[in-house]
Amino acid sequence: MPEISDAAILSALGRQLNNAVAKQTTAASNLANLDTPGYRTRDVSFDDALDHELGDVRRTNAQHLAAPLGDGAPVEVQGLQSRRDGNNVQLDRELLALSKAAGDFSRAQTALTAKFRLVRYAINEGR
Amino acid sequence: MAINQIGTLPSLGLPKGGVTSTGAGAGIEGSEFGNSLSKLLESVESTAKDANQAVSAMTDGTGDVHTAMIALQRSEVQMQLTVQVRNKLVAAYQDLMRMPI
Amino acid sequence: MPLSSAIAASASALDAQRMRIEVAVSNIANAESTRGPDGQPYRRRDVVLSSTPVDADPFGGALGRAQAVGVTVSEVVQDQDAFRRRYEPSHPDADAQGYVATPNVDVPEEMVDMLGAARAYQANLTAINLIRDTIQRALELGK
Repeated sequence: MPEISDAAILSALGRQLNNAVAKQTTAASNLANLDTPGYRTRDVSFDDALDHELGDVRRTNAQHLAAPLGDGAPVEVQGLQSRRDGNNVQLDRELLALSKAAGDFSRAQTALTAKFRLVRYAINEGR
Repeated sequence: MAINQIGTLPSLGLPKGGVTSTGAGAGIEGSEFGNSLSKLLESVESTAKDANQAVSAMTDGTGDVHTAMIALQRSEVQMQLTVQVRNKLVAAYQDLMRMPI
Repeated sequence: MPLSSAIAASASALDAQRMRIEVAVSNIANAESTRGPDGQPYRRRDVVLSSTPVDADPFGGALGRAQAVGVTVSEVVQDQDAFRRRYEPSHPDADAQGYVATPNVDVPEEMVDMLGAARAYQANLTAINLIRDTIQRALELGK
């Protein structure tokens, strides 16, 4: 397995943070419009298989990885049941998505913080 | 923007072996070392600039908190690295000056 | 910042759902008001909700980022369904045939509405807490 560079890990973590924020934003918007007539549930989709980024070790220019791979713009979610007023927001689904995104953010933040600490430790020779 | 420019953290512009070589023979006049030093200083300036931009984006509502935090951490790390390099250089210089002629 | 826009969206829902509850309470309280200031029975009120983008991130859309969408009560309307009629000749507002027109309010339905609004309120409150926690975590990044 090719060596995973710092750059790849860090940009993957950065992307995870951004993705989590986008998911929270759409989930919150859906929840806010739980009872708005005609409102359709949205979500953002990310092609975020970690291998996708880490697989190409030559791709160290992090600029290209700035945008979420799966476009990242909100799209209407398919397959949800609509109510009489045309609204298809499911409370539990959105709350779950929000919680999950918060957890994802937390995990990425922990990993990133650990990375920074390691780097500082190395720089300061353990002091 | 900033969050994806994390890139490589401490290894910008330094020859392999990093800051630990304090030997007098480290070729201080050598242009390669001089280059590395100025690259290091440039990186301090550029990460500081990025941090400022990221923080101001955060405060006017167009940027994320995490992007700003990461930019701040990056610039802090660059600064620490540079300070360490400076310390090593100073120590090397002092070693040199203490040498009996 | 996107996360604070998200909080703004959830906060807008708190306002809207609270208004929904207030209207339901008013409907219930007036379910038997057969004569109001205009001489007519109380007419059921309803809120009309509509989604409104939270504008705090004007450039986010251009970058393809998710924009927060909140909700507002665009108007409070009067339900135009017919009043009910009840045979009660002894009632002070009974008409010549002995019928009283009563408000077009169905109390159980109002209760159900209220419960729905309360549930939505709770969910949006939870959302605010979760997002706020995320912002906290972001502030601790790297420390």
